[in-house]
Amino acid sequence: MALERIRSFATNKKAQLRIIETILASLIVVAALTFANLYVIAPTSPKYASDELQKLGYNVLQDLYDQDLLARFVYQNEWDNLESALRVTLPRDVYFNLTVYDLDYQKVNDGPILYGSPEAFSSSKNVAAVTYGLTGYPSKVNSTSYQAVYSPRMIILQLSRG
Amino acid sequence: MVSAVFDHIVAILIVGAVFVSTVVVLPMVSFGNLQAVDQQQLRNTALNVFNTVLLDTGKPTDWGAFIDFQMNDPRVQRFGLANAEDSRFYVLDADKVQRLVVGNPLNSCDYSQVRSLLGLQGYGFMLKIIPPFNVTFLNTPYVVGNVLYYSVKVTYLTGDPIPNALSDATAVYTKTVGSIGYFNVTESPPVLTNAMGIAEGSIGLAYSEPEYYMVTVRVTVADVATMVVMSGNSYENTIANINVVYDTLILTRVEEDEPKDNVWIYDIIAFDSEGTLWDLYHGGKDQESKLNSGQGMFEFWRKAFYGLHGFDPVMFIFNFWAVDANNNGRSQVLVVMAYPNLLTTNIFEYGGSPSSTKTSVAVQRSVMISGMTYTAELWLWKE
Repeated sequence: MALERIRSFATNKKAQLRIIETILASLIVVAALTFANLYVIAPTSPKYASDELQKLGYNVLQDLYDQDLLARFVYQNEWDNLESALRVTLPRDVYFNLTVYDLDYQKVNDGPILYGSPEAFSSSKNVAAVTYGLTGYPSKVNSTSYQAVYSPRMIILQLSRG
Repeated sequence: MVSAVFDHIVAILIVGAVFVSTVVVLPMVSFGNLQAVDQQQLRNTALNVFNTVLLDTGKPTDWGAFIDFQMNDPRVQRFGLANAEDSRFYVLDADKVQRLVVGNPLNSCDYSQVRSLLGLQGYGFMLKIIPPFNVTFLNTPYVVGNVLYYSVKVTYLTGDPIPNALSDATAVYTKTVGSIGYFNVTESPPVLTNAMGIAEGSIGLAYSEPEYYMVTVRVTVADVATMVVMSGNSYENTIANINVVYDTLILTRVEEDEPKDNVWIYDIIAFDSEGTLWDLYHGGKDQESKLNSGQGMFEFWRKAFYGLHGFDPVMFIFNFWAVDANNNGRSQVLVVMAYPNLLTTNIFEYGGSPSSTKTSVAVQRSVMISGMTYTAELWLWKE
C-alpha cells in the first residue's frame, strides 16, 4: 500500500510541486533569519579590544602629563626619552607609533617614535588611536616666574597589540 | 483526498527537518557573535574588578597595616589595594600589597578569601605586578684596594637595551677591627647607561678591604620609572626575616626550629625610590638592640619608626653583630631586604591560573607602589 502511494507520489506532479513549494518557503524563512542575524550587529571582540587599547594609551599620556613629563619631552624634543617612557609604561605586547604635529599639521618629531614594525599597524585589525593636545610649555624667566608661549601640539598615538 | 494527506505528511516531515537543521545551524552561525558578547561581558566585569582592586581602599581603609593581622583576617570587610593616604589615583598601598605575598610571615589573605571579598564566585582571577624594565648586575661588585666597582645592564622587558638610563649607586660596608666595628655609607655620582644598556661605575670607600659590602643601584629611565637593585658581598641571611607593617619594623625567624645565638642590631638604613637614605637606627650591645629569640610568634624584634610609611621605603640594610658565615667569631654582617618582597625585578603573581587565554580576558594599567611605577595586570575568566 505504502509502496503504491510512493509510486503514485513519484508520478504525481502536483504533490512534487507542493514539496518544492515547501522547500522554497523554508529556504526563504532561513534566508530571512540569516539576513536578520547579519543585520543585528553584535559587538565583536576586536572592536572592544581596541577600545581597551585606546583607554590604555590615553591613561599613559595622561600619567606622563600629570608627572610634568609629557610637555617637557615634546617641547624640548626629548624624543628618545618619550619613546623610552612609553616603552616602560605600556605593556610589552602593545606596539605604538607616536607622531607630534603642530597647528599646521606639520610633523614635529624628526625621527619615528615607534615600537614594533610598521606592519603591526597596517595589517592588524586591532589598532587604536589616541589624540592628545598640548597648549604650551612654561620656561623659567627668573627664579620666581615662568612664561609659557602658546604653541599647541597634537600628539597622535597609535596602538596595536602584538 | 488520501493523496493530499500523504503529500502534507511528507511536506511536514521536510519542513520539520528544515526547522531542526535551522535551529542547529543558526546558533552556529551566530556563535561567533555570542562568544564576542560573552567576552565583552567578561571584559566589563574584569574592568570593574580591576578598578575596585586599584581604586578602592578596602574596608577598613588601613586593613594592610594591622600589626596583629591574622591569616584571612575577618576584620577585612572589603578588598581594595589603594593607598588611603594618597589623593592620587592608582597609587597602591605597599602594606596591602604585601598581604598578597604568599608565605608572608606576618600572614596574608589567600586567593579564596580575596575572591569572596570581591564577589567573584564563579570566576577566577590572577593579579600580576610587572616591573617596568629589568636591571641585572653583570657580575658581583668587587673591591680593589678602597675602590668598589660595579656594572649593571638595563633592558626593556623584551630584552632590548635601554641607553641613557640614569644609575645612582650607594655603597654600604663594614669592617671589624678587633672588637670595634666600622660601618659606612658612600654615594657615587650618577652614571648613564651606554648604547648596550650597560652602566659601569666605581665608588671610593672610606677604608680598604671591607668585610661586607653592599651596593644599591637606583636606575631611572626617562624620569618616569625607577628600579632599585642591590648586590654585593653580603651575609647569607639566616638571622631574621625583615618585615614592615606601616611604621613598624618586625624581625621574624627565618626557619622555625633553628636556634639563634645572641644577635644585636647595630645599624638600620632605609632607602626610598628617590635615592634618599634614612639612617633609621643606631644600636649596640644593649638589651633594646638584642634579638629576642624564642619569644612571641617567631618574632625577634619590633620597633616603630614614626614616618616610615610616609617615607615609602623600598629597601633596608641591616648591620647585625653576629657570628659570621665562616665561624670567625662575631663581627658585623650586612643583610639586605627589598620591601615589600614583590618590589624586585621579578614578576609578582597572585591568584589562580587561567586554563586558556582564549576564554580569559586581561586588563592592564600602570600603578605606583612605594614611589615606583609598575604595570598591574588582571586576568579574569569564568570557571
